[in-house]
Amino acid sequence: MRRSPWTLIFLLAVALTMLTVSQGCSSRRKSAPPAEVTPPPSNPEIPQTSEEPPPKPPPPSTEDENAQAKLQDAFFDFDEAALRDDAKQALEGDAKYMEGHSRVNVIIEGHCDERGSVEYNLALGEKRARAAKEYLVSYGIKGTRITTISYGKERPFDQGHDEESWAKNRRAHFVSK
Amino acid sequence: MGSNTSNSRRVLTAAALLFALLTPAAAGAQTDVRTGVKASGTVKSPLLLAAFRSDHGASPVAQEAHDVARHDFELSGLFNVTDVEPLTDKLVPNPAATGSVRVEGTIESDGSDFRFKGEVFDLGTAESMFQRIYPFHRADARETLHRFVDDVLEALTGERGICETKVAFVRATGRVKEIWVMDYDGMNPYQLTHDRTLALSPAWAPWGTELAFTSYKRGNPDLYLFDLRRGASYPFSTSPGPNFAPTYSPDGKWIACALYRDGNSEIYTISRDAQTARRLTRNNRIDSGPSFSPNGDQIAFSSDRSGSPQIYVMDSEGVNQRLLTLEGKYNDSPRWSPKGDRIAYAARHDGIFDVVVMDSNGQRPIQITSNAGHNENPQWSADGRKIYFSSTRAGARQIFMMNADGSDVVQLTQGDECFNPAAGPRPRRPGVSRAG
Repeated sequence: MRRSPWTLIFLLAVALTMLTVSQGCSSRRKSAPPAEVTPPPSNPEIPQTSEEPPPKPPPPSTEDENAQAKLQDAFFDFDEAALRDDAKQALEGDAKYMEGHSRVNVIIEGHCDERGSVEYNLALGEKRARAAKEYLVSYGIKGTRITTISYGKERPFDQGHDEESWAKNRRAHFVSK
Repeated sequence: MGSNTSNSRRVLTAAALLFALLTPAAAGAQTDVRTGVKASGTVKSPLLLAAFRSDHGASPVAQEAHDVARHDFELSGLFNVTDVEPLTDKLVPNPAATGSVRVEGTIESDGSDFRFKGEVFDLGTAESMFQRIYPFHRADARETLHRFVDDVLEALTGERGICETKVAFVRATGRVKEIWVMDYDGMNPYQLTHDRTLALSPAWAPWGTELAFTSYKRGNPDLYLFDLRRGASYPFSTSPGPNFAPTYSPDGKWIACALYRDGNSEIYTISRDAQTARRLTRNNRIDSGPSFSPNGDQIAFSSDRSGSPQIYVMDSEGVNQRLLTLEGKYNDSPRWSPKGDRIAYAARHDGIFDVVVMDSNGQRPIQITSNAGHNENPQWSADGRKIYFSSTRAGARQIFMMNADGSDVVQLTQGDECFNPAAGPRPRRPGVSRAG
């Protein structure tokens, strides 16, 4: 599991108050676990660092690189998470690829264009990622092979401020892992 | 001239001054105010600001203190400030100047210790309206004058100023976005988080030493609480999917936010001790951006349940949900004013975002920015006189501040892209020393 060594070190240090956090992390990859609300952040005796090192991605294997090249992103209309025909076509290709490569798991990142609030776009990005995931699952790909994350409008692929750029940024982006 | 400064005249003068200062900035505002060009409807009182006197060796401090006071009085949006020489003779009543005030200041130093003596006169009656002495250390000159100006505003209007408050915001450096904090006027910015990923949507606790925000530092966008006294953050809500859009209830006991824990973006209130969570919305569309009314009874929020984002309101238990915005196809980011009578939000019209303020029942929407890029993220200052917002009017997004009627727009950040302003509460402190 990604980041588990650091997560465990961090959690051990704060084991008393953070017990349910570790449950939350370990259950994060399961489908539809109950939500976790962590215990009170009020224990004044436990110093916590906010300087956790960022997670280090493992070096990609050759198969990963192939998968990354083969997987296609799905694009969306403004303020929409509904799958267009071209998006369904791309996702069908992704589903076929994953069907034939059972060791390839993916993260689907939901992205939005720059218009609208940070918060609304976080929700919209998640909705797009989940719409793409649902399509793959309905095709027959196991949900456990797919995780979703929303980056809202915070990680645009194109820094421009016109429709051409925005269209590139409204996407469900596939990352093989 | 004023041969009889009777009690009745003194009362009249004070009433005239108060009227001038209390005339709400929004009352005279018109639709489609072109921001930064005119201060429509805002009545500003003349304020004569004397050069501060100082004993030998304290003159640089006196100059600095004077500059801070001048800046603060001007930024308040309540005064037209004119620089004058200090009084040499006793002030005489001048009924023609009713509604005007004069501010005098003196800096005394005793080695490393300083004292600022500030006094405010009503020019109509020549009477002292406010006088206070502030001991301070050299490095605290700015803070000390902020406190003086806030005290003066409280004495003159009954409503304390915001010079002592802070503003949190997000600054983007490349792909990394961190929470920063600056003074109310953009001075002294410093970086709060060092998550080296995405930190977003800061919200102040009512007691002013804690911020809730979203961070990706452990991968998932989770909610954290940052304790400013300890300089550390703590996980608060870590359910799968985005944990976002936090805001504290006025009593600080609850944090309303949006979560995907039930498979869709819904609004929840979570007790600050994280023991209790309540789900408030139930539909398969995006509910987000909660904002409490100042008495905590109601929550404004945005929802696209009708097809595009609109502003709704509900009781704080989630019942009685109803649409507030009657104009426009896209309205988001509601923020309830500190007095409870108004709600600011961002409206998208013809592809442009602008800040709109309406009554809290949805009536009388007034657009207070226009023809100046995209204007979003409205946030009320603690006194309700100002609205902080982000704007692209100068290029990349930056934080700006304006009067609540859209006048007097001031840019507070420069350089790297800045957004998501969050105006902090007034500091809670024991009573100010009233020596002298």
